[in-house]
Amino acid sequence: MTENSSPGPRPLLHMDGIRKTFGPVVALDGVDLTVGRNEVHGLLGGNGAGKTTLMNVLYGLYRADEGIVTLDGQEVVIRDPRDAISHGIGMVHQNFLQVDTYSVTENIVLGTELPSWPSMDLKGQAERIAELSTRFGLSVDPLATVADLSVGLRQRVEILKALYRGAKVLVLDEPTTNLTPQEVDSLFGSLRAIVDEGMSVVFITHKIRETMAVCDTLTVMRDGRRVGTVARRGTTPTELAGLMVGDDAMVRRVTEVVTAGMAAPVGRGPTVDAYAAGDAPERVVVSGLLAHNDHGVPAADVSLSVRGGEIVGIAGVAGNGQVELAEALAGVRPTAAGSMSLDGRDLAGSPTATWLDGGVAYVPEDRHRDGILPSESIVENLVLGAQRGRRFRSGPFLDWRRARQHAESSIRAFSIKAPSASTPAAQLSGGNIQRIILARAFSHEPGFLILHNPTRGLDIPSTQFVYDRTRAAAASGTAVLLISEDLDELTNLCDRILVVYSGRIVGERRRGEYDQYELGHLMAGLEESA
Amino acid sequence: MTTTTAPVQTPPRTETRAGRGNALARQVLAYVVAVLMAFVVAGIIIAALGHNPFDAYRAIVTTSFKSGFGLVETVHKWVPLVLLALAFTIPLAAGKYNIGGEGQLLVGATASAAAGILLADLPIYVLLPLVLVCGVLAGAVFAWVAAWLMDRFGINEILSTVLLNFVSFGIVDYVASEVWSDPAAGHPTTIPIGEGGLLPLVGRPPMHLGVLLAVLVAAAVVVVMRRSVPGFELRAVGANARAAQVHGIRVGRVAVGSLVVGGALAGLAGAIEVAGVHGKLIEGMQSNYLLLGIIIGLIARGNALAVPFVAFGIAVLEVGSSAMQRSAGVPSEMVLIVEALILLFLLFSDVVGARLRRSSR
Amino acid sequence: MNEVTSFLQLVVTAMVPFILAAQGTMIAGRAGVFNVAQEGLMMLGASVGFLVSLTFGGNLVGLVVAGLGGGLFGWFLGWVTTRFRLDQFVIGLALFFAAAGLASLLYKVVIGVTLQPPLIPTLDDLSVPGLSAIPLVGPVLFQQSAMVYFAFLLSGGLYWLLYKTNHGLKLRSVGENPKAADSLGVNVARTRIWCSAAGGALMALAGAYLPMTYTGTYTEGMVAGRGWLAIALAFFGGWRPQYILAGSAFFAGMEVLALRVQVGGLDVPHQFISMLPYVATLLVMMFALRWARIPAFLGRNYDRESRTSH
Repeated sequence: MTENSSPGPRPLLHMDGIRKTFGPVVALDGVDLTVGRNEVHGLLGGNGAGKTTLMNVLYGLYRADEGIVTLDGQEVVIRDPRDAISHGIGMVHQNFLQVDTYSVTENIVLGTELPSWPSMDLKGQAERIAELSTRFGLSVDPLATVADLSVGLRQRVEILKALYRGAKVLVLDEPTTNLTPQEVDSLFGSLRAIVDEGMSVVFITHKIRETMAVCDTLTVMRDGRRVGTVARRGTTPTELAGLMVGDDAMVRRVTEVVTAGMAAPVGRGPTVDAYAAGDAPERVVVSGLLAHNDHGVPAADVSLSVRGGEIVGIAGVAGNGQVELAEALAGVRPTAAGSMSLDGRDLAGSPTATWLDGGVAYVPEDRHRDGILPSESIVENLVLGAQRGRRFRSGPFLDWRRARQHAESSIRAFSIKAPSASTPAAQLSGGNIQRIILARAFSHEPGFLILHNPTRGLDIPSTQFVYDRTRAAAASGTAVLLISEDLDELTNLCDRILVVYSGRIVGERRRGEYDQYELGHLMAGLEESA
Repeated sequence: MTTTTAPVQTPPRTETRAGRGNALARQVLAYVVAVLMAFVVAGIIIAALGHNPFDAYRAIVTTSFKSGFGLVETVHKWVPLVLLALAFTIPLAAGKYNIGGEGQLLVGATASAAAGILLADLPIYVLLPLVLVCGVLAGAVFAWVAAWLMDRFGINEILSTVLLNFVSFGIVDYVASEVWSDPAAGHPTTIPIGEGGLLPLVGRPPMHLGVLLAVLVAAAVVVVMRRSVPGFELRAVGANARAAQVHGIRVGRVAVGSLVVGGALAGLAGAIEVAGVHGKLIEGMQSNYLLLGIIIGLIARGNALAVPFVAFGIAVLEVGSSAMQRSAGVPSEMVLIVEALILLFLLFSDVVGARLRRSSR
Repeated sequence: MNEVTSFLQLVVTAMVPFILAAQGTMIAGRAGVFNVAQEGLMMLGASVGFLVSLTFGGNLVGLVVAGLGGGLFGWFLGWVTTRFRLDQFVIGLALFFAAAGLASLLYKVVIGVTLQPPLIPTLDDLSVPGLSAIPLVGPVLFQQSAMVYFAFLLSGGLYWLLYKTNHGLKLRSVGENPKAADSLGVNVARTRIWCSAAGGALMALAGAYLPMTYTGTYTEGMVAGRGWLAIALAFFGGWRPQYILAGSAFFAGMEVLALRVQVGGLDVPHQFISMLPYVATLLVMMFALRWARIPAFLGRNYDRESRTSH
């Protein structure tokens, strides 16, 4: 391993011994980071490694318990984002921090001290923004309302926000999530232009492939610590995987997660080769299913089928009807037309409880919002959805003793890390919450399992756990639908991938035909093909 | 390469008996501190107004217990308070604020009085149940109107419930001064209901049996909230409505149902006031029960088991307040200030407690 | 003066408490603080406004002190919900009780129980030279008390503040997406606290207007639900000052109409007519809420270091 001393006379940014705790959780444990001039610096690590927390400290959103930040050789104190901005730090968050009802210009000038008398001159600022966006290849209409923009364009707004404020260091948190491969290339082009104009970029990612494509230097983090800093030229994906994961035994077990999407996968999942669902009966048949979004506009209109034992993927850029599709297929969102049947039983039009009884299990995308009762215990969370079934009921009352026994066995079977079954769900980490949701979904032996972005934000072992469980479900004959915005995940797991654009299926590829650029083309709506 | 330990998470253990005991002790301590601090602050205000705070507090605390009459008065006051507090607490468990208990009580009382006057000749075993059921149903229907406006039209339930209170004032005024008016009363009041509609009195000094009814209702509410399927669904909706909906619970129906049940309890309170206390409908009979019910529900932190006990404490304060005004000269409104202070200090004790626990770690 | 003119003049007079209380609700709400203590703060404003005016012999000082008192309550609401993140509705209700109790308490302490309460002079009408001579519009709009002009100018000022200034851009962003605002250096807590304080002050002013215009004294129940109706008006006006101003005409119209019909001796029991403002409000809201947008973060507290909410 090559410990790299940063190039140039003096590093642009140096963070020294940063420590941050959240209650009992140590999120950052004395982390160092050195970013040189004119470089794209990768910050690599699994979810939960502390990458985002470190950058939130730099940006003043979190206050560190200990540690020193030095910019241009000067020690600086950053108490809030205002300080960070004035020191030339800009950050593009994973969940864009934008006011949906504002225009692009209003979002960009928000927080500055533009004069107001007799009223603000937004037109002049719009011109300045247009000029900036041409210069860095980030074109976007300054007068558009951001709620109407695509994810790719909203990201450009975020980058322009930082450039407008004259950032010297630009931090991007997992910027490629939700972008098509083509958009990723364009983003990398803009990052080069930014670095060429004298700024530096910190690029947070959990994907080795991306760091190899764009970064000059790499810092790897694990479990709230820095485990190494290397130059891209002097390292290999295998070395990075080892750094990210730690011990070698673990590397072998989770290798498909860390190397997902690399040209030559190191390992293969257990059922990939055993896949033989090609002639299994179709368990799920969806035809002409139409669902509206929250504003009453048609948002998903699909026909598809899933065989028992088959894992079918839905690829697409976020906002192309995936949420509506997932909720319609789970019986949560009312459908306006069409039918959906599981093992020959038509479920369309019946209440959600009937779908659950019928064997539909749904792992929602936003697990905190849609998946758990935060203030209630694990026991109660595992009863949720089954409270009217015979399993936990005696007469009009719930049998809490049986529910507790079920919870305790689920905690063991799904390796949920919790002090006890009566711990409120809100106190658990994202990975453990996802395990509760999976335990709930699997406890009813589902015929149809819908997973929506099931590994988003999970650490490496939990991600691998989800993959293993998904494959095991398929192997036992469940029809699985995996809706994901992560192309690497889809190509790794699925037997078939359907591409969705504007609520319609615009293409289908089978295992063996996957080409990420071609899929990206379909996802961008550039091509109608079957 | 460095070896690392994973971030350790050690949330407070709620599992052990000792842990549960500690949590209970913390809760009780918070209440004691909040009550004491409220009394200290109010005492300073009383002293500043030129009265003796100790005389005032002696009047407040002892009136209920000095005599049988004081105790019965307190228990009679407790009945509408506990029912209105539950009428607020049950919807609160589903995350809905029922500020319409006053209207639901009045409409329930009106329906009870109507039944008791129109069917005055029926024997007690027919008329009394009828009077009570009419009150319950009328309260439920009145709450349903608010719930329907919320569910169907998206009107914030605080508004739909509170505005109907003002509608109920008109209804009571109309019934009490136009329909069955008692001209001798000098204040909008109806003629008395039939003998058979009155709740039996027991003991000496006499206590009406509505007290027993309220005890049974309060106990039933606790059991249903904790153990039953609808109770679980109610809590699930309150904890996270989205997640409840995704898992097959009909959120709208649960929310509407919780308001209707709350209205039924408020209606029962109205019926008991008519059948147990006044024997007729009187304008203004709702006193400030709505405010007190909300205060009780909030002080009890929405816990149905705590509601009856908190309600008793508030009933003692309320009964004591007029004695305080008489003997110490302190305006009885002082008690409302004390109650608001208890609530505020209780809320602050959460903040302080959380800080102390964090710094002692 | 004909019937129509005097009716409209009464409506404009009655608009003031609705305008002030609803704009107060709006300005706090646009920053994300949902105040539900209007009814209590109006009682407090009425009581304090009356008592101070009586004691010091001038309505202006009564208005100022009432406004300061309401501002203190609003400031407290903003402070505890931002600094300690206590529930906005719970604190709002607690302040409602405290304010209502304080209003009666202060009156009893100063005046005591009496059959003939002392009176303060009501506000004088100020005629705007020239404009008040215009037929119909003149007497309706330009022969009113100073508070009427204040309420109208305030609405215009709020419109300018919210939509034309940098402060307004920041203020609205705090109610829409406080995390975005915070990440750009907007002080979320300070914005919320001061907006809440301003809102509380306006609510108390709305209350103080009542004894100074209608009764000359404080009576219990004189607010009569206007505070709750002001919340309805804020929703109805889509949390925008210009529509709140327009909508207040409807609420005031219902109030004046209810009085007029009672006086006019229509063959409907007066009790039912007294329900008119409340029933009409509910009916209107059934259909008006479809288009009304509310601030996305209304009633929700913001925690910068929360790791789950976004």
